[in-house]
Amino acid sequence: MADENIEPDQSMDKKYYEDSNVNQDDLILQQSKNIEKEISDSIMLVGDKEEIMVLEQQYIGDEVYKGKVKDLARKYSSLRRTRPDGNCFFRSFGFALLESLYHNQSNYESFRIIAEKSKDKLLELGFQKFTLEDFHDQFMEVVNLIGKPDTTEDTLFEVFNNKDYSDYVVVYLRLIASGQLQQDADFYQNFIEGNRTVFEFCRQEVEPMFKESDHIHIIALSTALDVGVRVRYMDRGDSTEAIAHDFPEDKAPQIHLLYRPGHYDILYPL
Amino acid sequence: MAGLSPSERRLQKELMSLMKEPPPGMEVDSDKAEQNLNLWTIHMKGAEGTLYDGEEFQLQFKFGPKYPFDSPEVTFIGNNIPVHPHVYSNGHICLSILTDDWSPALSVQSVCLSIVSMLSSCKEKKRPPDNTFYVKTCNKNPKKTKWWYHDDSV
Repeated sequence: MADENIEPDQSMDKKYYEDSNVNQDDLILQQSKNIEKEISDSIMLVGDKEEIMVLEQQYIGDEVYKGKVKDLARKYSSLRRTRPDGNCFFRSFGFALLESLYHNQSNYESFRIIAEKSKDKLLELGFQKFTLEDFHDQFMEVVNLIGKPDTTEDTLFEVFNNKDYSDYVVVYLRLIASGQLQQDADFYQNFIEGNRTVFEFCRQEVEPMFKESDHIHIIALSTALDVGVRVRYMDRGDSTEAIAHDFPEDKAPQIHLLYRPGHYDILYPL
Repeated sequence: MAGLSPSERRLQKELMSLMKEPPPGMEVDSDKAEQNLNLWTIHMKGAEGTLYDGEEFQLQFKFGPKYPFDSPEVTFIGNNIPVHPHVYSNGHICLSILTDDWSPALSVQSVCLSIVSMLSSCKEKKRPPDNTFYVKTCNKNPKKTKWWYHDDSV
């Protein structure tokens, strides 16, 4: 059934359309477009580094959150916000990872090899070659920046704020996560709700842009790239600290992310 | 290839591949596509042994400047619109990969294959139950419909 999630009462709907002379779908889409525009005008894809205590100003009068900000400040010096467009996990992960490789070049070469080889694995899984190659090429161009002598922190910042690169990186990371889920489909099937197969889940929740990420996306991506991620959860829970989860479980964290309901930003340890 | 935007480059590449190795029963109108890279017509034959065996259809693809990050606008055009529970008589198609589940890693070719498979699995030729209402009230652009996807098993 198109348009309505219940059997439409046509007489009423028709009356609505005639009376107001507007199409409801248009209104809904216009509104979500306006919200999107507001977000893209005001928040960079990847923002500047900020002092961790800026978070406190956001939670004035909120003791639960204030306590958690204080706890974070004992462990982290700063944060970097990313645009809340549904891609925030993948973009935060990509930026934080490359930034950490930039500062610690000894891990760079082994990562570059994993990234280079990731394409073959995806081809074996049946991803379409020529679209995959486009995204892989653009992704490798960004990865290779790390090894170039004239690359600075600003280079990464600019590249990740340039949609032509940034969104390509996001897509390719989504494909890597999808590939990992499909490769270990028997295992991941246990974590997928509803009657979807792993393949359907990947097609609907992992590969499309703007679809938000859950634990399963994080486990898949961090496992595929062999990169440890520590996520700090800041929510309404009772705990006085922002609880940490490491992905994959036994791996020392190479990057740190802050999760607040519906959104990921990057954290920098003291 | 200088001067082409990433979107145009990608479309060029897809057009070449579709001309060289078209999926079975499909043919892109390459003259038309070369004149206007953002508007393609694809001729499509109903697959053998299905309810659409022997029929011919035309699919129109419109690409925006954000392709492949935004999905293409895909409709049936011409005087034979397939009679199918997910295809409206104005040519609009209710298929999730054309909006919500679109991914930049999909392509014109994968959309065509999905449409062929959608037609091929059809057991009874009929229009969507809300066809009359929808065709009267919808936007000209099917991407502007908030689709509630039909059960894929239909």
